[in-house]
Amino acid sequence: MKRLGFLLILVVFSAVSFATIKVGLFVPLTGIGADDGLSALHGAQLAVDYINSHGGVLGDKIELLQYDDQTDPKQAVTLAYKMVQKDRVVAVVSGSYSGPTRAAASIYQRLRTPMISAYAVHPDITKAGDFIFRVGTLATVQGRAGAHLAVEKLGAKKIAVLIMDNDFGVSLAKAFKSEAIKLGAKIVYEAKFSVGEKDFRTVLSELKKTEPDVIYATGYYFNASKIVTQAKELGIYQTIIGQEGYDSPLFIELSKNHAANGTVITTDLDRDSEKPVVKWFIKEYEKKYGRPADMVAASTFDAMMILKKAIELAGKADRMAIKKALPLVGGEDFVTGFKKFTSSREAVREVVCQVILNDSFHRLCVISDPSIITPGR
Amino acid sequence: MQDIVNALVLGSIYVLISVGLTLVYGILKILHIAHAGIYTLGAFLGLMFYHLTGNFWLALFLSIILTGIAGIGVYRYFYKRVLEESRIVPLVISIGLFIVMQDLYRLIWSPYRQPFAVSFGIGDIRLKGIVITEHQVIILIVTFVSLLSMYFLMNHTKLGLAMRACAEDMAIAGTLGVDVEKTISVAFFLGSALAALAGILVGVYENNVYPTMGEVPSYKSFVVIVLGGFGSLYGAVLAGFILAFTETILVAWKGFVLPRDAIAFLVMITVLMIKPEGLFRRATR
Repeated sequence: MKRLGFLLILVVFSAVSFATIKVGLFVPLTGIGADDGLSALHGAQLAVDYINSHGGVLGDKIELLQYDDQTDPKQAVTLAYKMVQKDRVVAVVSGSYSGPTRAAASIYQRLRTPMISAYAVHPDITKAGDFIFRVGTLATVQGRAGAHLAVEKLGAKKIAVLIMDNDFGVSLAKAFKSEAIKLGAKIVYEAKFSVGEKDFRTVLSELKKTEPDVIYATGYYFNASKIVTQAKELGIYQTIIGQEGYDSPLFIELSKNHAANGTVITTDLDRDSEKPVVKWFIKEYEKKYGRPADMVAASTFDAMMILKKAIELAGKADRMAIKKALPLVGGEDFVTGFKKFTSSREAVREVVCQVILNDSFHRLCVISDPSIITPGR
Repeated sequence: MQDIVNALVLGSIYVLISVGLTLVYGILKILHIAHAGIYTLGAFLGLMFYHLTGNFWLALFLSIILTGIAGIGVYRYFYKRVLEESRIVPLVISIGLFIVMQDLYRLIWSPYRQPFAVSFGIGDIRLKGIVITEHQVIILIVTFVSLLSMYFLMNHTKLGLAMRACAEDMAIAGTLGVDVEKTISVAFFLGSALAALAGILVGVYENNVYPTMGEVPSYKSFVVIVLGGFGSLYGAVLAGFILAFTETILVAWKGFVLPRDAIAFLVMITVLMIKPEGLFRRATR
């Protein structure tokens, strides 16, 4: 009788576990990345809700197993073993920063489990191996797109560059500078700052003397809001060009005296898009989580949607089959401008230039020239 | 000139945060790391009351009182029990408390940064190319007034005398009729209230309140009290301004060669090598 009961439980258990497809997600919910982590989590949850309410994948529902990596590479590695060996997920989405994502990528590669990084920028992540994909735009592409925006669209000849001194800022600025020089512009001023810097007045006063046509400033939204506020304070009215680090409603909210207006950024989320999935995403996100969507949420949403398509293409929820199907994913129904993966498993995405007007993001132009947006040119 | 204004504002903030820390260290000889958590609490309460009442000064007042009481709570429920233990015990408790506080704020107020947009309607002051924003003006005035009141309190009232006596020697002060318990509570209240003031001013100045905003102040204010000579109020005030000027001048002169925090610690290490007791050790020890 006892044995029968055990068997019964086993049958019921396996029936339940067969009814869902387990997908893992790691995001920073504590530590320095806690705010981006929450946006990433919400983006992923929204995608899973969308998929499950639209018939699931191959008739099954997706079960999202979500974990907090504490913005800590060690924790991300522990979670990688847990998700693959204990939870038996078929694939994993990273909604985390470069540090944890890079550390975890080599583990997923070794355990032969596909991982898609949503927005981490470090170039080495995808070099971990053929199981590792990236949805986010590489810093090299984004810097290059920024240079085209500055020189070709805005006609800049003299450019000042502010560089946030970490992976993200340095690699962006490097790509920007080399492309801008190639396009015939001159870099007239350059300064580095640390991520925690809050007072840019001294540097901005120096910058002002060089009379640049535009300012290319790398940074996250909390640096950027200080840069634009203090620039206006000091009477610097040149256009400031930013990138996806600025892409948060908080950039506008944290800037004083509407100083964010007039800033132009290169990013992935086109708020004025006519695509139904984008409209649905922007509306539902705000309704459900009480705040406007940002780039992090959009990219994590897309990572989940790409995974869903790969499972459909594979025809079964199997790690090896998903890995083989991922390079074939393409199409239009993504929230960001994702088109396809390159042979080095980097995303080809349209770069959207947004301008801030009346305290909200609007489309300025879309850069879709393959020679600019294809990674590893 | 612009740099002097910026340094004065930065120094004011350092001083407001550090005075409370110095008071506590002076009396209990505890490194009160959780003070930075109290500072964050002040900012969040100020923002909350500002949203509720729409009146900045009322919100400031309410937050200062409540944060002051929270400070007394920290003393009564955490430090008081372990005063007899080795000094490492309250230090460890303090660090733990700080971490718990930050996570608590995250759970209550979400991890997102929140704007603290207040306009005082006096506008920015522009003089021959120098800009002093209205927020900077408010910070300078409020700091000046609070420091003046602190000076008066410490030197011209019985309470101030009691605090100074406790800082000299708690046991002797007790036998001489000072209500030690009450004096310590008052010190915690004052220190925490000043931290709340600093938290709110920084929140408005940077238009930014978030759970981990105490992280940098938690070790920066430490630098200030070490420089100031462990428990000397005048020392802390001077050290706060010296640190702010050093940072600002270095940045103006050389750009961001080093992150500000690294500069602060370099200054601290240099001073400690030359003068291990800090710049302004209390004379009577």
